[in-house]
Amino acid sequence: MATTKFDIENENQWCPGCGNFSILQAMKKAFIAQDLEPKDLLIVSGIGQAGKTPHFLACNMLHGLHGRALPLATGAKIANHRLNILVNSGDGDCYGEGGNHFLAAIRRNIDITLLVHNNRVYGLTKGQASPTTALGRQTEMQNKGTVSSPFNPIATALVAGAGFVAKGFSGNIEQLSGLIVEAMNHKGFSMIDIDQPCVSFNKINTHLWYKERVFDLKDSSHDASDYEKALKVAHMGEDKIPTGVIYKADTLAFHERFDVLNKKPLFDYEFDKNRMDEILRRA
Amino acid sequence: MAKDITILIAGAAGQGIQTIGALLARVCHNAGLFIFSTDDFESRIRGGHSFHQLRISTQALGAPSRHIDILVAINERDYEVHKDRLKKNGIALINSDKENTTDSNVFHLPFDAAAKEAGGVIASNTVAAGAILAIIGAGFREFEAVLKDNFKGKSEDIYKLNLTSAQKGHAMGKAVEFPKNFDFDGKNHHHVVMSGAKAAALGALAADCRFFSFYPMSPGTGIITNVVKYADEIPIVVEQAEDELAAINMVMGASFAGVRSLTSTSGGGFCLMTEGIGLAAMTETPVVIINAQRPGPATGLATRTAQPDLLFTIYSSQDEFPRFVFAPGTVLETFNSVKKAFYLSEKYQVPAIVLMDQFLADSSRTESEPFLTGFEHESFLDLETLVSQNQVSQNPESQNQLSQDQVYLRYKHTDTGISPRRVPCQSEGLVRATGSEHNEEGLSTEDLENRKAMVDKRFKKLSLMKDEMKMPSIFCEDSAFYLTGWGSTKGSIMEACLHLREEGINAGWIIFEDIWPLDSHKLTQVLENKKLIMVEANVTCQLGSLIRQMTGIDYMSSILKYDGRPIYPEYIIEKVKQIMGK
Repeated sequence: MATTKFDIENENQWCPGCGNFSILQAMKKAFIAQDLEPKDLLIVSGIGQAGKTPHFLACNMLHGLHGRALPLATGAKIANHRLNILVNSGDGDCYGEGGNHFLAAIRRNIDITLLVHNNRVYGLTKGQASPTTALGRQTEMQNKGTVSSPFNPIATALVAGAGFVAKGFSGNIEQLSGLIVEAMNHKGFSMIDIDQPCVSFNKINTHLWYKERVFDLKDSSHDASDYEKALKVAHMGEDKIPTGVIYKADTLAFHERFDVLNKKPLFDYEFDKNRMDEILRRA
Repeated sequence: MAKDITILIAGAAGQGIQTIGALLARVCHNAGLFIFSTDDFESRIRGGHSFHQLRISTQALGAPSRHIDILVAINERDYEVHKDRLKKNGIALINSDKENTTDSNVFHLPFDAAAKEAGGVIASNTVAAGAILAIIGAGFREFEAVLKDNFKGKSEDIYKLNLTSAQKGHAMGKAVEFPKNFDFDGKNHHHVVMSGAKAAALGALAADCRFFSFYPMSPGTGIITNVVKYADEIPIVVEQAEDELAAINMVMGASFAGVRSLTSTSGGGFCLMTEGIGLAAMTETPVVIINAQRPGPATGLATRTAQPDLLFTIYSSQDEFPRFVFAPGTVLETFNSVKKAFYLSEKYQVPAIVLMDQFLADSSRTESEPFLTGFEHESFLDLETLVSQNQVSQNPESQNQLSQDQVYLRYKHTDTGISPRRVPCQSEGLVRATGSEHNEEGLSTEDLENRKAMVDKRFKKLSLMKDEMKMPSIFCEDSAFYLTGWGSTKGSIMEACLHLREEGINAGWIIFEDIWPLDSHKLTQVLENKKLIMVEANVTCQLGSLIRQMTGIDYMSSILKYDGRPIYPEYIIEKVKQIMGK
């Protein structure tokens, strides 16, 4: 890919061949397609290889703690809902450590875009099972195989009431960047669970493994406005992996539910000393 | 000579004993009397055993009293629980139809029966309030004015029921003889009756805090409850988080985006928040947290009071970083401490924690000094740069200048360690923050020289922060010993000290409000050659230990209480006498 204004001179720390490179590329492509400038973006992330993403991008950045990217992003969005906020998280960060925040962010319908880099393994801590690792899969730590069923993020998001749910694949940058644009333009909470290989620790779900299974929902009779169909897609299993927009519905975003925020962002208000003095006088 | 009456109203949760207390407090407040009210309740919504205690005086009050003048028992068994605390000339009123015996200080008054007669047993509390008010000398007119205000907006029937009940109660009370009473002729005054929780809420609002995130936990919740009331008047957002981890991280995110934010909790929730405090420290993002302490560990005593988190708070979260800790002792100090916490947290870009406790948060008292908006709402954001840069970006000729300035250094090294703080998406310069160790630009790096320089940068602020801290207040410089404490025990320590002096004992006090960071050099000068008797609501004498650690000065003795109940002045007096062998 040619150089872009979102490039940054900072040594990339991902393993060569990591799916994250493609996700990063798709993000840049999506930003350029929307004519955005680095200063227009706030990227919030948690911990894990995905959490490092904003370090390799020209953007405003808040790189927080494991699992807490969504509450950080929620706070920033409440403070100033004009901000264009994306969250880069991973399967461990978002569905493990941050599981409660994932559900709460959907329920709040906070107007941000969540990108979950889902490689079905813990990369940064060297190969332990993640919430999306298949049942019975052996790892160095789970040496007799995992004993918990995998988490289904798409089905969970749908049941929790998310208004924009999509599935991406790091091997299809073109499709993924299109999905990111669509997610960013969706009013309310939007999430893309992105399948990606981990070249170092996941020898099963490889690029080729995904490549043989993924198909684009556009090439099927899927109707993303149909909740029942979306739920069926979410439960299709592993033999064929649907990608694209699974469900999309018009919703009222969190900040639209507050009169005070409908007028203007909290950040834009001036402190009213007279009003405060009046409140104190009658306290 | 000050007149001083303590009334204790006991009953089960859900019986409305607080309603009685509130009515009494309003009538007394209108008359210019000083009040101090506390609630003692269990962690349950119905039943059990609770009491409301109201102290009324012609002089300012800083503490409740242990000894009771009038004991009001809603159920007969409540009398049995509290009768030992009755003063020698005190009286008890029991809600019952029993005949009164002569020459007894126990009066059976039929509150329920009188309310039934008036039209509904639900107004039994109003009967009780009427009786008590008559006993302490209030005329019916004063009570009527409060009732009218209290039932404003309610139906005429409800008002009439309560008015009739009040009359019956007042007549009942007139028949009871009691030697102490007040003058209820209304005086003009500007006093307010306020709880610590409300004072903290107002302090945050006066410091331009606009976002509040919390997870419910007693007694921290009350602060947010008091904020919500103003949501239609001033631009604020209050959000109940999914847990305390989310609460602190939401506050962190909002503050990063340029809006002052607060979270409030108690010890257990504060435990969860410690990771977020570390993130705020590492990213140099201002955050303010109120920890309203209660006894622990774990769930401990959910609705009780204690001071067990002092050392935990000043050392909370892993590794080392500067932070502010304040421990106000009165409602006005609470208001001012919270304002100061916001101001200094933003000035130095560090976390600030205000330590309260259940006693301070939930008790209400008369405050005669005014609550004022000061300078604390003023922002330290690099806003001028934001505006001028936005203007520059409209002008294509100054593009060169702009591109040079595009590398905004969020963590620029400065003489003070404080870097100019901008917020994201408000200027060309990119604002980059991370919980990992980072360079001036905010990008993570493991370079060892950088690591050392950044730790030093964060700690450079410390000496300036120390200069912002008030030394403890000292009463009577040449005392034989000093009752030394911090936070909510202030009023009890002061009252005990004055009482001891009246008895000819040369006692003074030393009370800490600004806790951390502590200037050990200045503090050593202040405490040198003074004999300290520590008064704390914990078991290991935490402030005493801290003083010893910071100054090498050891305390002489300690009065420690950890039963979950407030420290009364009488308790301190008794213990001081024991220590002195009297």
